[in-house]
Amino acid sequence: MSLFAALTVSASGMAAQRTRAALLVENIANSETTRTPEGGPYRRKDAVFTTQQVGSAFGTELDAQMGGMQLSGVSVAGISVDTRDPEKRYMPGHPDADSNGYVSMPRVNPAEDMVDLVSADRSYQANVAAMSAVKDMIMKSIDLLK
Amino acid sequence: MIDRLTDNLEQYMNLVSFRQKLVASNIANADTPGYKTQDLDFQASFRSAMDGGSPEAVSVPGLSTKNDGNNVDLDREARLLAENAMRFNVAATLMKSSISRIKEAINGGKS
Amino acid sequence: MTAPISNITPITLPQVQPLSSSAGQPGEFQKVLTGTINDLESMNNNASDSVQKFLSGENEELHTTILATQKAELAFELGLQVRNKVVDAYQEIMKMQM
Repeated sequence: MSLFAALTVSASGMAAQRTRAALLVENIANSETTRTPEGGPYRRKDAVFTTQQVGSAFGTELDAQMGGMQLSGVSVAGISVDTRDPEKRYMPGHPDADSNGYVSMPRVNPAEDMVDLVSADRSYQANVAAMSAVKDMIMKSIDLLK
Repeated sequence: MIDRLTDNLEQYMNLVSFRQKLVASNIANADTPGYKTQDLDFQASFRSAMDGGSPEAVSVPGLSTKNDGNNVDLDREARLLAENAMRFNVAATLMKSSISRIKEAINGGKS
Repeated sequence: MTAPISNITPITLPQVQPLSSSAGQPGEFQKVLTGTINDLESMNNNASDSVQKFLSGENEELHTTILATQKAELAFELGLQVRNKVVDAYQEIMKMQM
């Protein structure tokens, strides 16, 4: 795989971190949501990352068949939805309270997710830096022609 | 096969590129559960490249593993990213001046 | 009394042996020339292959392709200069008064 494949790898990293950040933002925004279209309180979502081999943007299937080196990118294999029972909080005046005065609240810790968001941002920046460094190397190679 | 210097430089550039690709992979998979950092044993690969071997990725000892099995250290990868970029730069610059020196020698001082 | 002048014996020139003909054997220079041309050809092929692989997206690094083309260019320049020098030398010799 040429250096161009490394660009694809970094791009996959950026995409994955974006998805992760989007889900975290959704969790934070819905940390107090008690009513959802599916019924019941909001359930937190997490991105499941998995390694995915990438070929170059110009690469062919032939190259992979020939055992050419595959680079490890990343992709979001799926979104896992929290299946735990929701938290119950005692709020008797709440419109969604049940007969005992308990409201089912989402199991979202906004502080935790905000820290995660910072981490996602940092990883995203790292991928951007990687893409920039690789691009510079490619440009430097082209410079050899002059 | 112009001279040994340009050959060595070309091998060096190949290896630095390979290493940089591994760094990009490590960064992309910094949050992937179970992913292990990959790197290149530079000395060994350089020696084997002289005999026509191709570089191989190896695992890195001494990294701490997180709960999900991932052992990528973003600081380490960021450092390597900068280092590889600089090394590639140096090699390319040396290569460029080497080539223009040879060209000048061929043309006997008039280009 | 002076001795009578005897016949002048003709001076016999030593026979000059002609150099054994080396027309059928490749000289050192020809070997060098053929070698250079072959190298040039192989460098050119190398460069073309490399460019081909790069363009079709195969596993070819950009700097490898660029270096291959640079090497081919250098080989060509060298060949060109050698050829010029040979032609110059030939013309020098032709100019010599016989």
